[in-house]
Amino acid sequence: MTILGQVPSERCQALLRDRFEPRDCDTGGPPLVAVARHVELATTLRDELGYRIFGFVVAAHYPASKSQEDGVDQIRIAYGLRTVGPSSELAAWQVQVALGETVPTLAHLFAGADWQEREQYDLVGVRFEGHPDLRRLMLPEDWEGHPLRKDYAIDTQVPPWR
Amino acid sequence: MNQALKQAYGDPYLDIEEYDPEADLMVLNLGPQHPSTHGVFRLKLYLDGEVIVKAVPFMGYLHRGVEKLCEKLTYLQLVPIFDKNDYVSPMMNEQSLVMAFENLLEVEVPRRARYLRTILAEMQRVASHLLWLGAFAMDLGGALGGGSTLFMYCFRERELILDLFEEVTGSRFHYNTHTIGGNRHDLPSGWAAGVHRALRTINSRIDEYETFLTTNDIYLGRTRNIGVVDGDLALELGITGPILRAAGVDHDLRRDAPYHAYDEIEVRVPVQTAGDCEARSLVRLAEIRESIRIVTSMVDGVPEGPLTSRKPVKTAISEKIDHGHAYACVESPRGELGIYVIGGGANRGASPYRLKIRPPSLHALSCLPYVLPGHSVSDAVAILGSVDPIMGEVDR
Repeated sequence: MTILGQVPSERCQALLRDRFEPRDCDTGGPPLVAVARHVELATTLRDELGYRIFGFVVAAHYPASKSQEDGVDQIRIAYGLRTVGPSSELAAWQVQVALGETVPTLAHLFAGADWQEREQYDLVGVRFEGHPDLRRLMLPEDWEGHPLRKDYAIDTQVPPWR
Repeated sequence: MNQALKQAYGDPYLDIEEYDPEADLMVLNLGPQHPSTHGVFRLKLYLDGEVIVKAVPFMGYLHRGVEKLCEKLTYLQLVPIFDKNDYVSPMMNEQSLVMAFENLLEVEVPRRARYLRTILAEMQRVASHLLWLGAFAMDLGGALGGGSTLFMYCFRERELILDLFEEVTGSRFHYNTHTIGGNRHDLPSGWAAGVHRALRTINSRIDEYETFLTTNDIYLGRTRNIGVVDGDLALELGITGPILRAAGVDHDLRRDAPYHAYDEIEVRVPVQTAGDCEARSLVRLAEIRESIRIVTSMVDGVPEGPLTSRKPVKTAISEKIDHGHAYACVESPRGELGIYVIGGGANRGASPYRLKIRPPSLHALSCLPYVLPGHSVSDAVAILGSVDPIMGEVDR
């Protein structure tokens, strides 16, 4: 399973298959990698295979009724990296944690991950362990809740902006 | 981040308490209502004399919750919403969005529509860079005939392109011309002649504006060796587009990961090596010429055929999918504009479950805490202008 519309990167898939024991994800998308080995994977992709452009971090919330594991809310986070220059390739993987658990940050590997992870913390409420400056990026600091969670209704009433 | 970069650039996580206790620091808020921030963006600057010690950016003043809205609206209802993200190049936003949906729904786009999208995208790039050029000259103030001369000239030229867009789509800014599987509006008859006429005018005037810039001592003094972003820093921060190419990295998605009709045409990628504000300006000026060349070579040879691969969709709810992840990216005037979409949301699968925009401007702005320390406040304005941020897509 990969990302639709992108040519699967064979080098990345071979690396995952040989060294990182990926699992297929039941909602589709890039393969799931164990949280403990996620930083190692990013380091290998950057240093050995030349994926040097930081792509994206996408966290999605799956409520307990939708996720099949243990009846606990799950957060799945997709990461993407890109190679430089002709026939640029995209490498992507996902990690999964229960709601409330932390994910190791990539901010010390890619400075570009800093703000993207802050954004996901702000809007989805994932805590990134070891992040140098984990503050809200978009919303004011005293905002309650994380809007992109599925249990946050789109018509939630908020007091007027100061 | 490696040691060499750490030494060459400022530290965004500097603890201001630990900075020289003898120094008399001043805190200055640049923005959010400052005209040179190109929108509502706040920079908190810690100054030692006139030299910046630390810069902390704050954003979110324009946050509209577009990604939450995506969970409620259907695929087709989202296209006009995305025009408002990067309001200087709405075509690119629409295209990246419909490309992501086409990937998700596995829809083919006919060749005529792909050509049309390429032409519209390249014309939009010219319009966007023209607006940047005018605003940048304005930022530099007295450098260029009081500042507003070039600004007005560039807006006059941009108007020529907006008029052509109006002839095709009926609107000047928020086009809503792309749909899943093709385009809504066909080219009116005689449009190609108008395109040639307008682009010839712009092409000749760009030479004039470049002479304005490159022979002006004030302009050169304010941009040369100011705000250097080198290739390693740009890659690490995820910066793409003109800033990366001005730093000597030859990377352009139009050539390196072709979409639309870019695999059928030649794209020459302008690269500069200095990485300073001047290099970024030169790259953008060269991109205007390159886009004009691409449009001129394509507009007479648009292939015949259908404009969309599917029958007109009667209800907004008839596109449905219950699973899958898709990603689509285009080279917008500011870099890699990506849309990551997860299918299977509300409205029985007619809305995305989660949609994430990868805004190039957000990454471009993230260079500021590294680059600004060591520069003066007036340089901060020039650097911010040369980064060309659009706050609508940063805050979303």
